[in-house]
Amino acid sequence: MSRAELACAFGLLALTATACTTRGPDVPGLFILGVDGMDPVISQRLMDEGKLPNLARLAAAGGFQALATINPPQSPVAWSSFVTGLDPGGHGIFDFVHRDPKTYGPISSATSPVTDPAKAIEIGDLYFPIGGGEVGNNRAGVPFWDLLVEAGVDTEIYRIPGNYPVPGSNAKTISGMGTSDMRGGYGVYTWFTDKPVPTRPSGEHIKGDIQIINVDDYDLDGTPDSVHGALKGPPDLFHLAPDAMITDKDYLTAGVTFWLNKGRSEVYIQTGSGSGHHDTAVLKQGEWSDWMKVTYDALPGGMLPFEGMVRFYAKELGPGFAVYASPVNIVPSNPAQPITTPDDWSADLAALLGNFYTQGMPEETNALKDGLFDDDDYLGQVALVREDTRLMTELALARFQRGDMTFMYVSDIDLQCHMLWRHGDPKHADAEAHPAWETGSAEEHRLDIEHMYRHVDALAGRVIDNLPAGSTFLLMSDHGFQPYTREVNLNTWLRDNGYLVLKDGKTTGTIPTDDVDWSKTRAYNIGFNALYLNQIGREGQGIVAAAEADSLMKEIADKLVAQRDPKNGDAVVRSVARSKDIYATQRASEAPDLIVGFDIGYGNSDQSTLGEITAEVYADNTSRWSGNHLMDPDVVPGVLYANQPLPNAAGARVGGQFGLLDITATVLNHFHVAPAPGMTGQSIY
Amino acid sequence: MNALISLLNMVFDVILAPFGHRFASFDLIVWPVLAGVIALLVYKKVSNQKGIAAAKNGIQVHLLEIVLYRDNLAGVLVATANAMKQNALYLGNNIGPMLVMMPPMTAVLVEIVANYAYSPLPVDATPLLEVKMAEGASVKSMDVTLDLPAGLSVDAGPVATPDGMVAWRLKAETAGDYVVTVHAGTEAQQKGLAFGGEPRKIPVLRTNTWESILYPGEDALPSDSAFETIRTHYSDRDLPYFPDGEGGILLWFFGFSLAAGFALKGPLGVEL
Repeated sequence: MSRAELACAFGLLALTATACTTRGPDVPGLFILGVDGMDPVISQRLMDEGKLPNLARLAAAGGFQALATINPPQSPVAWSSFVTGLDPGGHGIFDFVHRDPKTYGPISSATSPVTDPAKAIEIGDLYFPIGGGEVGNNRAGVPFWDLLVEAGVDTEIYRIPGNYPVPGSNAKTISGMGTSDMRGGYGVYTWFTDKPVPTRPSGEHIKGDIQIINVDDYDLDGTPDSVHGALKGPPDLFHLAPDAMITDKDYLTAGVTFWLNKGRSEVYIQTGSGSGHHDTAVLKQGEWSDWMKVTYDALPGGMLPFEGMVRFYAKELGPGFAVYASPVNIVPSNPAQPITTPDDWSADLAALLGNFYTQGMPEETNALKDGLFDDDDYLGQVALVREDTRLMTELALARFQRGDMTFMYVSDIDLQCHMLWRHGDPKHADAEAHPAWETGSAEEHRLDIEHMYRHVDALAGRVIDNLPAGSTFLLMSDHGFQPYTREVNLNTWLRDNGYLVLKDGKTTGTIPTDDVDWSKTRAYNIGFNALYLNQIGREGQGIVAAAEADSLMKEIADKLVAQRDPKNGDAVVRSVARSKDIYATQRASEAPDLIVGFDIGYGNSDQSTLGEITAEVYADNTSRWSGNHLMDPDVVPGVLYANQPLPNAAGARVGGQFGLLDITATVLNHFHVAPAPGMTGQSIY
Repeated sequence: MNALISLLNMVFDVILAPFGHRFASFDLIVWPVLAGVIALLVYKKVSNQKGIAAAKNGIQVHLLEIVLYRDNLAGVLVATANAMKQNALYLGNNIGPMLVMMPPMTAVLVEIVANYAYSPLPVDATPLLEVKMAEGASVKSMDVTLDLPAGLSVDAGPVATPDGMVAWRLKAETAGDYVVTVHAGTEAQQKGLAFGGEPRKIPVLRTNTWESILYPGEDALPSDSAFETIRTHYSDRDLPYFPDGEGGILLWFFGFSLAAGFALKGPLGVEL
């Protein structure tokens, strides 16, 4: 072989190697901050007032526009559309809550129905799983990151909503909103207290695990000094028949002991019990602990331990006792369930960042809604989450190089708008006081939402100043925000208008407890914006024939839009869309028949969302959950900032605005990657 | 115990970390390999090499017998029993050498752990200093006091538990090695804390039990001490290629020492 032939052979080898390890196109990188709930009106006002200097700088250099959201404008729906480039009819996430058409009961929209029931062998009092029961992610479509990775683009996706259970991928992803705690839910905190806890200020049930404890006198010296409690972890599956319903007593527990000092100003906390695994902390009243490990033994002798982690907050040590424990989070360095792709990426992140919140939506809104946290307690916890986000963003920036794509999700604004809007409407200067306005704390916390925007501005500033030259930076949100002052119970409205009938002459009841007479019910509500017809052949006891569906939908829609709030005469519903008119058809059979777009200030009550029929249709919203976006999409658009000039959106698809699906198309187009079938967005560049 | 710990420290403080503690890989490879080689030579000296060879040969013969006469149930059962007997002989021949080699191997391992398994505390950390009173101690945990050197302060605590624990949360002003003094009646014991700076030998735990040999970063507590343990928790040190901390070091140590032993058993003529 001549030297030329040899060189040629090596050249071919090099080319082959290059082809095998596909490299992405040689283009600048793309970094996206996805800020849940950021509103264009509030953003514009704060920029005009000079309070968002970095975002103003970004808008001046590139552009700032409202970004059309999806219908319904719910975070899991909207982010799933961004992820897949599909509308809800394509990806199949229609609401936070779906319904089982056979039983009519509410089910999670995040997971697909289990088609292969769990099986187990029973030996003594133990059940050993032998398969089945696998729970998958319900989202259909191809995530944009899979297309990018296939094209050789290094892609890192941080805390993406709706990605748990985590589907397989070659991209680096960590799941966000929807990621469960160790119990398998969306986060149940524990409250150790020596006093009974009243119901929520709004009358609803408390969401936390309330443990009424005694402060014991361990050494009988006359001074109470110790508290023993338990933290619930994963379901005790080895003691549960595969088809058994999980009740409150069916969870594995880990012990926790609190030792108080003489003056009850400080507490020594030990997780675990006896000589078992334990972690320790000393806290003063009002302090938060770092993450502490807890271990759950699924089998005797420590043969199958599951590790979780928890943070404590010493709310009150004396004279009363009240200590908060966070939901037991999955440990990123040793996850009991995968929360990333690849599986071990969470451990890599933990090695660089230390432990961080892994539960989706980790801001402790429940303890605030339950009245156990005050605003200062809540904001203290929010600051911990924000620090996680800041550190993760710094890490993502440090790893970001030319040709890379990175997405970072930021939850700060969304949940704080939900919880703190009651202190002062940041969007409508002439708004009346919110029904949940609190005399004692409103003035002190009036500008809290503004502060959240300023935190995001600072984060955006870090990104702007540290991206490699030439990189594209987009800051986008899934929807905006509005006040939530009046609750509507859609099921009660359906009852009052003769579309839903209760059994035995009842006037109140719930769908899951079988109070509804399905032989006379033509429509029902499960979910925040979803109405379903009781269709023959689809619902378990359907009575509405296909031929009458269109006229019934039109009748209900017309009545809802014409509805006026008896308190003030305001319009309640701005629009009602038929899903078959606005959605793609891939998963149309699972879609609600009607999507209710509430007007500003109105929203479906939590009770109706889960199938409850209450006495009254309307009520003032006295819950601390006081801002909302589950409305007509036109009143809650999101934002789009870019560091490259934004073209005129006049030709864009959605009402003169770019929309979420266009951002997906933009991401793919940036890297010269063809969209997947069904993607309909148009690249903005 | 302290004499033994001092002797081991004297030896290993010289031979470990010749290039400083930063290059963990050097000591984590060289010493396990050397330990493997030395263990091999010791094993050759102290073991019954002929007996081991005979037992291994016997195991092979009876396994072959099982394969060849698999249609003869009685033959297979007898061969299995004989193979198990030879296995027992093989294990018996190994017990003595194991007992001889265990102490030096353990000494090497615990010294490597003390030097490489833990990271100094971050300067902004607020670690707990936790004291466990010895059973039957005449001083109550509530009466234990703490003296701190300049630059170190109590951030919270003490919280003393009636079951014999005392905990303080401490805070350092700057990086450095600090020594605190814990008092119980007339007894005073010191405990080191390492904040910030380069990786180094970490003072994790002082105890008056046999476990002190596993923590050569500091002297053992006297056997009649009022304290059973005085400890501070340190984070695992990031180690290249293997799990962090003690688990990683165990993998490094046994991985390399076994690899070296098996690689060199032929050239050194050792029957394992």
